[in-house]
Amino acid sequence: MLNFLDTLNIAPLASLEVGQHFYWHIGNLKVHGQVFLTTWFVAALLIIASLLATRKIQQVPKGAQNLMEYALEFVRDLARNQLGEKEYRPWVPFIGTLFLFIFVANWSGALIPWKLIKLPEGELAAPTNDINTTVALALLVSIAYFYAGFKKKGLGYFGKYVQPTPVLLPIAILEDFTKPLSLSFRLFGNILADELVVGVLVLLVPLFVPLPVMLLGLFTSAIQALVFATLAGAYIHEALEGHGDEHEEHA
Amino acid sequence: MFDFDATLPLMAVQFILLMVILNAIFFKPLTKVVEDRAELIRTSQTGAKAGLEKVNAITQQYEKELADSRRQYQAIIAKAQAEAQKIADDQIAAAQAEAIAQREQATKALDAEKATAMAALEQQVDALSQEILNKLLVGV
Amino acid sequence: MDVSSASVLAAALAIGLAAIGPGIGQGNASGSAVEGIARQPEAEGKIRGTLLLTLAFMESLTIYGLVIALVLLFANPFR
Repeated sequence: MLNFLDTLNIAPLASLEVGQHFYWHIGNLKVHGQVFLTTWFVAALLIIASLLATRKIQQVPKGAQNLMEYALEFVRDLARNQLGEKEYRPWVPFIGTLFLFIFVANWSGALIPWKLIKLPEGELAAPTNDINTTVALALLVSIAYFYAGFKKKGLGYFGKYVQPTPVLLPIAILEDFTKPLSLSFRLFGNILADELVVGVLVLLVPLFVPLPVMLLGLFTSAIQALVFATLAGAYIHEALEGHGDEHEEHA
Repeated sequence: MFDFDATLPLMAVQFILLMVILNAIFFKPLTKVVEDRAELIRTSQTGAKAGLEKVNAITQQYEKELADSRRQYQAIIAKAQAEAQKIADDQIAAAQAEAIAQREQATKALDAEKATAMAALEQQVDALSQEILNKLLVGV
Repeated sequence: MDVSSASVLAAALAIGLAAIGPGIGQGNASGSAVEGIARQPEAEGKIRGTLLLTLAFMESLTIYGLVIALVLLFANPFR
């Protein structure tokens, strides 16, 4: 049985290579090189698109500017819907970058045949396919909503933990841990599951059959980016408002 | 699979860097453009609204003038009609009066002639009867 | 039963059981959404957007099960 699992780990699902990493050593730190490579790719894509869009700004947009303005309007609406008309402006860059980064990362994982580029160890995939990335983003969301709460109310922010009754204090504290946990696991699980399903299907039937699943994967990836950004906005709004009943913990 | 290492903080730092860069080259300039455009649209909209109001006012004034002049010319027509009617009435009345007068005159003249004729006739009848009487008396 | 076979069984159970609840939930949500669209066809866009978001939330429950299954298969701490 153990043998079977070992072979499962390496041989038949070799093209999936779950848990294999292309390690870089910086000093005495180990980092996952493949994540950084794809992250740089995604960041470069976003920066190039932004530069193209803002190279010569016109009153009547066309081409790249039109596309990026659409993206901007989208994230602005997203932030406004979650945070309200008054508060949303300073948070647009954070929520917008979250959405754009996750969206482009997910789609790059689904659309770009990273597997054609051979690495010595591990394989290239969406940056969000690595738990480190999603946990980093989720922790940033946590820091962001704590920052928002403290900036708005100072130490009075802790009042919300005992606001309706002090009985719920443990649950309120627990919520602060479950929020980043569910955020990061949702994104990580969805993207990893998508890539695994596609990988398994490609392994079984290499032609045409995986296509619908790939399309579903594209859809899921976009929705997950939207969900992540929406929840980030909802958590920040909750911290700004101060009573946790309005936006219940989702999932 | 769940091997956390230095990737995590480095990813966080990278993300914040990306956010700062995108804020500088994407969010700020494009937000400015979008809001400027919204402002422009708002101002031109208010301008268009003002123009529309002006046009409406002018239309109303024009319609008022139109109604005034219509009333005026209707009054003129009514007056002219009344005058014409009056003149016609006057003339008809005058003609009728004249006709009546003429008829009366004619009747009077006729009566007078009849009277003279009757008188002459009576005279003649008297003379004739006298003559007849004389002749008869002579024969007797 | 050694740990390996128990892990494989547990992984299968994790994903299978985790699919039950969200399946029911998604069915309920979609049914209600269809009812809502039938009642108010003009609100279809809004209903669809909300539905997709909530479906994603429910879907993530199964994904948690999948994550556990993957942990058991590939990163089992007891093996």
